[in-house]
Amino acid sequence: MRVLALALLAAYCLAPFLWQVVTSLKPAAELVSLPPLLPSRPSAEHYVAIFAGHPLARIVANSAIVAACTTALALALGALAAYALSMLRVRGRAAVLGVVLAISMFPPIATVSPLFLLLSALGLRDTLAALVLTYCTFSLPLAVWLLASFFDALPRELYVAARVDGCSALGALWRVVLPLAAPGMLAAALLVFIFAWNEFLFALAFTATEASRTLPVGIALFPGLHEVPYGEIAAASVVATLPVVALAFAFQRRIVEGLTAGAVKG
Amino acid sequence: MLSRRRFIATLGAAALAGCGRPARERGATTLVFKHGKLFGDPRALRALIDEFERAHPGVAVREETLPASSDEQHQFYAINLQARSEAFDVLAVDIIWVAGFARAGWLRELGALEPGAFFDGPAEAVTWEGKAYALPWFVDAGLLYYRKDLLEKYGLAPPETWHDLVGVAREVAGRVPGMHGFVWQGKQYEGLVCNALEYLHSNGGAVLADGRVVLDSPQNREALALMTDLVHRYRVTPASVTTATEEPSRHLFGQGRALFLRNWPYAWRAFQDPSSRVHGKVGIAELPRFPDGRSAPTLGGWQLAVNAASLHQEESKALVKFLTGEKAQRRLAVAYGFQPARPALYRDAELLATQPFVGRLARVFAAARPRPVTPQYVRVSQVLQSDFSAAISGLRTPQAALAHAQRRIEAILGAD
Amino acid sequence: MRTEREQPWRYLAPAALLLGIVTVYPLAHVVWLSLERRSLLDPAPPSFTGLDNYARLAADERFWNALGNTAYFVAVSVSLELVLGLAFALALQRPFRGRAALYGIILLPWAVPTAVSARMWEWMFEPDIGVLNYVLGAQVNWLGSPAWALNAAVLMDVWKSTPFVALLLIAGLQSIPQDLYRAAAVDGASRWTVLRRITLPLLAPMILVALLFRTIDAFRVFDAIYVLTGGGPADSTETLSIYTYKMLFQSLEFGYGSALAVSVFACVALIAGAYVFLLRRILQ
Repeated sequence: MRVLALALLAAYCLAPFLWQVVTSLKPAAELVSLPPLLPSRPSAEHYVAIFAGHPLARIVANSAIVAACTTALALALGALAAYALSMLRVRGRAAVLGVVLAISMFPPIATVSPLFLLLSALGLRDTLAALVLTYCTFSLPLAVWLLASFFDALPRELYVAARVDGCSALGALWRVVLPLAAPGMLAAALLVFIFAWNEFLFALAFTATEASRTLPVGIALFPGLHEVPYGEIAAASVVATLPVVALAFAFQRRIVEGLTAGAVKG
Repeated sequence: MLSRRRFIATLGAAALAGCGRPARERGATTLVFKHGKLFGDPRALRALIDEFERAHPGVAVREETLPASSDEQHQFYAINLQARSEAFDVLAVDIIWVAGFARAGWLRELGALEPGAFFDGPAEAVTWEGKAYALPWFVDAGLLYYRKDLLEKYGLAPPETWHDLVGVAREVAGRVPGMHGFVWQGKQYEGLVCNALEYLHSNGGAVLADGRVVLDSPQNREALALMTDLVHRYRVTPASVTTATEEPSRHLFGQGRALFLRNWPYAWRAFQDPSSRVHGKVGIAELPRFPDGRSAPTLGGWQLAVNAASLHQEESKALVKFLTGEKAQRRLAVAYGFQPARPALYRDAELLATQPFVGRLARVFAAARPRPVTPQYVRVSQVLQSDFSAAISGLRTPQAALAHAQRRIEAILGAD
Repeated sequence: MRTEREQPWRYLAPAALLLGIVTVYPLAHVVWLSLERRSLLDPAPPSFTGLDNYARLAADERFWNALGNTAYFVAVSVSLELVLGLAFALALQRPFRGRAALYGIILLPWAVPTAVSARMWEWMFEPDIGVLNYVLGAQVNWLGSPAWALNAAVLMDVWKSTPFVALLLIAGLQSIPQDLYRAAAVDGASRWTVLRRITLPLLAPMILVALLFRTIDAFRVFDAIYVLTGGGPADSTETLSIYTYKMLFQSLEFGYGSALAVSVFACVALIAGAYVFLLRRILQ
């Protein structure tokens, strides 16, 4: 009974992906009718087409660069801030965390127009830097919040001992706190990376050409003035999904930890 | 505040220009030509541009492409033109944008058009307050595709009026199981406006007349009622038409599951593929009309314009004239099968020999009607999309939908 | 220790500065823009108009329609996600073989870009050749009928977000002391009683947290609907974010569009405030 329920749950989560994979392997002629459910012969034509005919490789690279830079920036600044909040005894700590939480709930649509004007004024429109900068709206609060909760779990005596041993405050962070909080850093990095990889609204509003298009937008606006190539969309979706699938399976424990740590604290 | 922002913007633009552009040849002018993706081999267009460069020593032209989606391009151009960006000189604009861009002062005025050189529809659409702000490049217009084989089998003629179409579709659908009568584009998007206006215009109706909103008229009510009746009363159009854009409707027809299809000329090429199920079985006709009206396909297509902030006005104007000229349009038509905006070319022997299909479209383009020419077109279109969609999905009666749209469009144009 | 007291702000400053630039400043600016008559297409320079845009908003039926659609989307999707998520959490809470793999699987719908899943669902919803109608043997016009389209978007959101709710609730379940369950077993309490008297009350704070996150996320819904329907048919799926986006970036009305944006922000702030208030009451 329980096994059946779990199997159903797995099927429910997986079915849309499997269908997408099946679609991506169907020859073009078989796409436009159903049945047959499965391709008569699997075909790689759509995968060849997306890399040969479209700038997909460029778009994948853009996504990877933006997500990686966003993660690095958020972790660096987030760790400093969380360190101050957890170890250095900031007055008004609860208020600061409250503000951080409130900012993480901003609806992006509310700030998209002034950010747009700001980026235009800085000459950053349609650049990857624009995305990394604006992604701070969600990546920084997330990183600060998560890392503060992970740092809080460390005994403060460690920090005091390090200072007594002659470490500077920064040295204590680097040599003592960060190594001990490495699993937490990993969890935060994974979440920020996934959020940045998936972001849509800012990428849609602030990019205009393939120079800075990211995958979600690239797939949503798959080329074609009139034509809509379903098979190629399916193939591109599979490509876009693979990295997060890999992360989800490799690090499921850390991701779950990050997700719940963020909530438990609230 | 504003001037400071402008100053920073200029600085930013200058910095970008410095790093983004390849080093200029000394003393040379580089024109940047922005356009959406063209189908087929880009070399045909490039060869033309090379020819322009040879004729204008010291001028180089660089092409930059934008995503195919028209909404995306609109956003890109509006934002950059508004910021007085000098990053591009010549641009390809959708026919529905010209008035808005011209009123905003973003496009350079190009003088009067040679009379009769271009089809009437595009000539009207590029003209704002008596002057041309872009030159027509390619035209597009709605067509009726039909199953030649089936009509012949049952001894029926292609329909001339919408009522004929309903009669023929019901007769054939009754004999061929699983066959839809007529498929078109009914999703809430720009394509729906194109489709719906073909009914309104072919019954003598209109959206605007002399700057007034005339949407809620008896002609329009009758026309929109017929369009919705196709789905709800005659059932010759499946209810799923409310999700259909160009491609799903083309697929249904291409699978042999529909007798009639409304689509743009591009679909013809797909049906000529020998592996297509309807290969050799497709005919084209002008879109039907109402008994007292004329066939009125909606006009689409692209025009070339000069950015008013361009630093190279004369060279840019020369490039636009060259690319929209007879020779260039003929070459591009032969290479891509795109449809020239100059009627004279439809009598051209070379074009007729290589692209016989294009040659058959002259009458259609001559009859094609632009969408309402107003600087507020984008907002007007959003209202039309929503109310036409409400009528077709049965949420409002045609009468209520038109009255509702009339009020909303009056508010938009009144506040202007 | 004196140095230590002075230092914390230096560590906070970079993050605070950046957040100020990308969130606080834009928020103040959007409020300012919302008081202006400003259209990118209008050759006239922007002018200050006070609360005109808000008066227009109050009388704008399209705004109320979008607000109604958003509220419906939030209410239906979040309640379904809570019920399903609770069921999943109860089924998953005890360890079993292969739980790690199953966790990986249930993370997938959450981890995949929404815009990409929306493309997948659009393909499955296709009325003629979509797999959903084929499997169900139905002829549902999922995205094309005003009665169905918003529900189809809800369906996709439920698929995507239920795993997230389930994971939060599992964490909550695991923090309930096992002694309570043992005591209940000794007393011979039925499973239903245990659920009502022990599990749910102790899980309440976590349920509220999950609801808070989901409500706010659902209220901001954009990607899924932008890809699935673009707001149609007949505006039946136009949510506040979609309407605001169209007003800003298609109509290029930055003044009125900003007023819409401020209204979204105000709604989200109200919702968050209400939840925090409830959460405090429960925790006391």
